[in-house]
Amino acid sequence: MPDEEVLEEGVLNPVKPEIQDPLLRALLTDEPAPAATPVDTPLEQPQAIAPEADEVDCIVIGLGAGGAPLLARLAMAGLKVVVLEAGPWHNPEKDFATDETAQNFLFWNDERLAAGADPLAMGKNNSGTGVGGSTLHYTAYTPRPLPDDLHVRRDFGQGEDWPVSYEELEPYYEELEQFLGISGPTPYPWGPTRRKGYPLAPLPLNSAAQLMVRGAEKVGIRTSPAANAALSARYYQEGIGWREACTNRGFCQAGCSNGAKASMDVTFIPLAVKHGADIRPNSFVTEIERDARGYITGVVYTQNGIEQRQRCRHLFICAGSVETPRLLLLNELALTSGQVGKNLMAHPGLQVFGTFADEVRPNKGIPGGLISQDTHRPKDADFIGGYLLQSIGIMPVTFAGQVARGRKYWGQQLRDYMRNYNHIAGINILGDCLPHADNYMELAEEKDVRGLPKPRLHFTAQENEQRMNAHAEKTMRAIWEAAGATDIWSFQRYAHVIGTARMGRSGDDAVVDANGRAFDVPNLYISDNSTFPSALSVNPALTIMALSLRTADKFLEQQQRRDA
Amino acid sequence: MSLPTYPSGTVRALLATPHVSEATRDALQARLDAPAYAPQFLAPESFALLEAVAARLLPQPDRSDSPIPLAPAVDQRLAEGRADGWRYDALPPDREAYRLGLGGIQEIAQAMFQTDFQALDATGQDAVLQALASTTPPGSTWETLNAGRFFEELLAELTEAYYSHPLAQEEIGYVGMADLPAWTKIGLNEKDDREPSNG
Repeated sequence: MPDEEVLEEGVLNPVKPEIQDPLLRALLTDEPAPAATPVDTPLEQPQAIAPEADEVDCIVIGLGAGGAPLLARLAMAGLKVVVLEAGPWHNPEKDFATDETAQNFLFWNDERLAAGADPLAMGKNNSGTGVGGSTLHYTAYTPRPLPDDLHVRRDFGQGEDWPVSYEELEPYYEELEQFLGISGPTPYPWGPTRRKGYPLAPLPLNSAAQLMVRGAEKVGIRTSPAANAALSARYYQEGIGWREACTNRGFCQAGCSNGAKASMDVTFIPLAVKHGADIRPNSFVTEIERDARGYITGVVYTQNGIEQRQRCRHLFICAGSVETPRLLLLNELALTSGQVGKNLMAHPGLQVFGTFADEVRPNKGIPGGLISQDTHRPKDADFIGGYLLQSIGIMPVTFAGQVARGRKYWGQQLRDYMRNYNHIAGINILGDCLPHADNYMELAEEKDVRGLPKPRLHFTAQENEQRMNAHAEKTMRAIWEAAGATDIWSFQRYAHVIGTARMGRSGDDAVVDANGRAFDVPNLYISDNSTFPSALSVNPALTIMALSLRTADKFLEQQQRRDA
Repeated sequence: MSLPTYPSGTVRALLATPHVSEATRDALQARLDAPAYAPQFLAPESFALLEAVAARLLPQPDRSDSPIPLAPAVDQRLAEGRADGWRYDALPPDREAYRLGLGGIQEIAQAMFQTDFQALDATGQDAVLQALASTTPPGSTWETLNAGRFFEELLAELTEAYYSHPLAQEEIGYVGMADLPAWTKIGLNEKDDREPSNG
């Protein structure tokens, strides 16, 4: 995609296009053209590992929302790219059961230690593995952030601003909405006017969404059918063919079996494969190798129990906000800012459930059919930032587990309450979160089965998150009361781990620059939600993909400039 | 509102139909057909205690002859060393937590009633579990093992095992597994023909 900055630079100064920009100037003087300088690899060749003769242009680690979009871009540009994905490559139509427990293989089930006053549930709540990563079980909520999500510090004096503006991301949001086949309302009721509407009409509202419409109208909150990356009609996908419409299974969080949901395995990955990407599933990276100058020369990984080496000219780590900082810490890579593992944020995801006389049958339809962003910057807020509201349907085993943990019901009381399952509907929020010194990821002393230190995540909701939760609980209870719910209760939860390798304008306080390139290591890029400087008050997947495409474009522009 | 009741046999009947995919049928049928289980990880007396605890956390007086087995899922997971992706930092590794925690439940029973958990009637057993769930229970185990977190993990694992079972799903009127070719009636007070009615 042509970029305004580059076009302008080309006109202004075709010889030294970046000379006005101190960051780009620094990068250009630091980095020699790899084509002109053979990579020096004096530390390689231990006999235990078979040497890999071929050097590829790029290695991508991780095939979720951060890795797959840039993979497709790099492959389409003709680069030789190898992808190392820790998990397997599934055949959803055949392998995916409509059964929550049977689908547990979709989650990153290696143990993470959850510390702090509000320990983060991982596994099925927050992680994924396999070709497609967490998008295999994401709910496919794809709202764009609102422009002021990107400058919370400018507006409130706390948190962090993004080094990328909404205007720079906007073309990528538009491209993604069209490419993935996002179903949603046109016009969208919140945020700036858009050049293009959603390519497909919204998905039908399920019972929970209809109930939320009923309650929200009475309390004066505007709602809209949500934007969702599941197809409301057949859609043609380059590299794969026609994808069929959503069949209202309601199992998005346990894997979509008919390809209606735009997970990476039915969108960007087939496109990348068509353009020659070499995908290696079941490949867990253990070491990142460097030469004497600190340039990455390759990685060591274990595939199906056999250790392998792959040499590369550039590395893209897209392993998510736990495994990405873990790889950096284990390899003592890109650590000079002191920010790797720090600034861990998690979205307040408070849920409020109620029982209705109506029949809800909350397993059917996309779980979050309805959205409101009226609470993005509430007038009566006693906190920084804001949140959005989504209706929720829920699968029975997930719901039962939450009743046990959150409501602490057991015995006959638990069984009696669960008999109301077909009459239960929920609302949840997704709220912004501020970074805090107490919230971080570190390597624990305890080792996993591979002998590597387990990650430990510290998270304690601070005053701002607590105030936001209190405001949100009041709002959601009011909506449910107005809708006629009884036996209303709330479940405290936090979703998405964010910010553990953040981007910024300077290597003094950030790990990567606005393009995703590591300040410390010129041929290392990071693309996943670990780079988010702030949490945003929307679901992160669409922005992870937008940044991924942008990182690929910035990388390719730089390669082209060098070749020229 | 009185509690909804649904007819028995709904899920089992649907499993035989083309509304259920093969992968889904395999998963659910395996739970229905699970053979008798001998513990692989826990000692027989610990496994028996876990069964007794499960029988109070998810009592099944309506299935007194053949309750949905819950303890095997825990024992099998511990034997295979499987995790669910995370653990409270406050707790030791799962195997140790279960060994300690089950011993700790006996300690509570001894402290409160001077007898083993299994020797108590339902009321006594519930009092022991209530002490575990909501207080600092008696016994040296609980000086080092976080009682609230242990109880939460134990209860959540058994609850999820219970509601994964087709018979428990019949009980709550859930037939979401029969999702082929599609759900067409997803709005309020609507249902597809194959979904069961209350009453």
